[in-house]
Amino acid sequence: MSTAARRRLMRDLKRLQSDPPQGVQGAPLDNNIMTWQAVIFGPDDTPWEGGTFKLLLEFTEDYPNKAPAVRFVTKMFHPNIYNDGQICLDILQNQWSPIYDVSAILTSIQSLLCDPNPASPANSEASRLYQDNRREYNRRVKEVVEQSWIADDDDDEDGDEEGEEEAGAEKEKGGAAGGGGQA
Amino acid sequence: MKVKIKRWHAVATWQWDVNDERCGICYTAFEACCPDCHIPGDDCPPVWGRCNHAFHMHCIMKWLNSQQNANKQTCPACRQKWEFRA
Repeated sequence: MSTAARRRLMRDLKRLQSDPPQGVQGAPLDNNIMTWQAVIFGPDDTPWEGGTFKLLLEFTEDYPNKAPAVRFVTKMFHPNIYNDGQICLDILQNQWSPIYDVSAILTSIQSLLCDPNPASPANSEASRLYQDNRREYNRRVKEVVEQSWIADDDDDEDGDEEGEEEAGAEKEKGGAAGGGGQA
Repeated sequence: MKVKIKRWHAVATWQWDVNDERCGICYTAFEACCPDCHIPGDDCPPVWGRCNHAFHMHCIMKWLNSQQNANKQTCPACRQKWEFRA
């Protein structure tokens, strides 16, 4: 089935492959272009360095007039990321514009990692530590960086392999995420 | 010398007079049509806002109609209130 949303997503994929942005990767599941997996690599020379953070993007037929639902499936510790992986980012909510594509979404989230907005906290503990105790904040970030390697040991994110298996693994991880509770 | 033309075969090309080559919403060329149309040309034209940004008419209409709040009916490129250029 070819719809406006699906055609646009094919173009997004082409652009992501022909002009790949630094430090992010993404691809649709083998059997469903409306659901994408993505990885954001933690930027060098930051506490996030070395992390491989996986995300799930779910598009509707209203794309690109509506933003996709985006969440981290890797456990995160960040002022603007909820414990269930949902992201508090203006361009995914009221500042969405149909000129954005997958590449723009992923690079925006990547820059949010190192440039949080403590004014709209989604994780109050992370927000508080970011403002009051940067050393402890960085330590907690490095913890999730290390966890991101362990959680991902059952697959590597190199290409177009085993969509089904990965989708299964995502579900398990999604269910396990969200412990810890907010202060 | 006299030349008598028995037959001739004219070929023409056309393109829209747009600065960008593709629509920023659907990412297809203006010379092609929007994803909801089948035939490029007058039935699927580009339109301009007063901000001078251009989109397929069908693409910008879909965007504007998807925004319930009139204040949100903005240009996708520059976020100014969208008004069609006369």
